[in-house]
Amino acid sequence: MTTEVSAHLSEEALDDVLIGLSTPESDAHLAACSVCRSRVEEFRSGLQAFNQVSLAWSEARPMPRTTISLQTAARSKARRDLFAPLGWAMAAAMVLMIGIPIWNRDHSAPSNNEPAAAATASDSEAQIAQDNELLKSVDMALNTNEESSLSEYQLLDEHHSYLKKRAELRSR
Amino acid sequence: MGTLAASTLQLGTIPQARIKSSLTERARPISELDDIDGLVRTYRARLLRFVTYSTGDMDLAETITQDTLLRAYNGRENFRGECSVNTWLTGIAVNVIRDHLRTERYKFWKQVKSTAIDVHEMASFIAADGLSPEGQMLAREKVVHVSKVLETLSHKQRTIFLLKFSEEMSVDEICDALGMSVNTVRTHLHRALKAVRSQLGAAI
Repeated sequence: MTTEVSAHLSEEALDDVLIGLSTPESDAHLAACSVCRSRVEEFRSGLQAFNQVSLAWSEARPMPRTTISLQTAARSKARRDLFAPLGWAMAAAMVLMIGIPIWNRDHSAPSNNEPAAAATASDSEAQIAQDNELLKSVDMALNTNEESSLSEYQLLDEHHSYLKKRAELRSR
Repeated sequence: MGTLAASTLQLGTIPQARIKSSLTERARPISELDDIDGLVRTYRARLLRFVTYSTGDMDLAETITQDTLLRAYNGRENFRGECSVNTWLTGIAVNVIRDHLRTERYKFWKQVKSTAIDVHEMASFIAADGLSPEGQMLAREKVVHVSKVLETLSHKQRTIFLLKFSEEMSVDEICDALGMSVNTVRTHLHRALKAVRSQLGAAI
């Protein structure tokens, strides 16, 4: 028969029991030794109290607004996921509805377009000639011998003399 | 031959039984995960408690808990029913905590501002039923003591301790959640337990 102290579980063995790694020997010892059993029970009851209180405290904490919006976001996402295939199908139908007429227009009856292109080219040549005539007439109107308001106040003469002097200085 | 045939028959029947049980196990949690309101209602408090104690920051814990629930809801198809929903959610929370702790922004804000847990306020939530005023006071002191001792542990030790003793996860489940070997988890657990028991002393 061993003494009472040496019969108790070691700290390591006690830790193993608390972690859930007890051996048949330590289980047998706990069944027989009230001192070791009470140590284990006291530790467990202390943690149990902590767990209960901390959970009650956590449950009492108000749910922040962001959590509520999270729930709304998750629900709307679920709804979007539900209608997503329908949306894609509608988008594909729209693309086909627009794309097919465009493709048909571009790829059908190319011979009909050639006279139209030629007409456009001739039109543009005539337009250029007309524009040239208009520009010539504008030039003519500008080259008349009407006295400019600048020369009336001798502003042009002053400007010309200034330019001359500047040219002379540069040539030096 | 007869033994071989019998063993072949057994091998053939066991997986089917396992498949059936895993299918029935799987059908229940997936429907549970489809309901975001139910998910928040059932698991938010437990997650919040774990994250609050693991990080030691109440505001950060709110953010991480929300992030965890949203990730779980969006990734609910990945839940295979091999563990409880609570264990699965805790595993996600562990990863979200790890991501937050790694960011430089977290390190900066941790230095500037962190909302510590008010242990005395928490201890006031002790259930009054069946306890004398003296018993309530003693229980409150125990809770405050355990909270304070947990704060002295390293982040890893505290997380593993909470996973084991608050979330009641097995060592294997902790290994899966943290991506650690069994020996590493056991070492951390032993060290944490030793520190807690030595500091609590006669308080527990």
